[in-house]
Amino acid sequence: MKLFTENRGEKWCCGLLDGPCQTSELDAYVADPAHGAIAQFFGVVRNHNEGLEASAVDYDVHPELALKAMSEICSDICSVYPVRLLLIHSRGLVHVGEASVVIAASSAHRKDALGAVSDAIDQLKVRVPIWKKEIGPADEQRWLDGHSLRKD
Amino acid sequence: MNQIHVHCLGVFREIGDGFDVEVPSRSVAAIRGAVSDHLMHMGRSDLNDVLKRSVFAEGDELIKDYMVVEGSAVSVLPPVAGG
Repeated sequence: MKLFTENRGEKWCCGLLDGPCQTSELDAYVADPAHGAIAQFFGVVRNHNEGLEASAVDYDVHPELALKAMSEICSDICSVYPVRLLLIHSRGLVHVGEASVVIAASSAHRKDALGAVSDAIDQLKVRVPIWKKEIGPADEQRWLDGHSLRKD
Repeated sequence: MNQIHVHCLGVFREIGDGFDVEVPSRSVAAIRGAVSDHLMHMGRSDLNDVLKRSVFAEGDELIKDYMVVEGSAVSVLPPVAGG
């Protein structure tokens, strides 16, 4: 994958890329001969949302903050689960059926890999500065509401 | 007065990629107030509800309203919606 920004830890890798994410051969990023389980999650743009048709999503990103938040998520998860972890998100236009986020985790046993992937997508949605502008079939556009980062 | 450039992200891009505000102090609270005034001036008072749920960042640091900015540019971050 051609990431325009990325960060790595001892057991994790995260990054951002322009356009849709690759969904094949992700196991290579988390392969470990001691690991018997690999779990993957693809967040894919769907053709409807809140009763409206959609043809694509345009993702806006604050790259520095997003990479920092994604790195913190990876580090947090790897401190809880004994896994190798990959976390990638798109910037820009992603059409229906294409992946905007991919997560892969490997572990010795399945529960840790599954838990790590589930926690990673949950955390990404509430901690990473990324915004969705949904585009309809007639090119109508609307920004989607989300989770406030404000804590004061 | 201090001039601060505000980078727009998410729904705030509807008013442009950024704009300048004049603030009497470099506090985030003052910048938030100036951004609110700018939204009113632009005829986008509807975005003030979003602004109340937004945070500011300087570089790669989120900054709270009681803090002051060191440089001359901040980003305004509406509620996030990745994934």
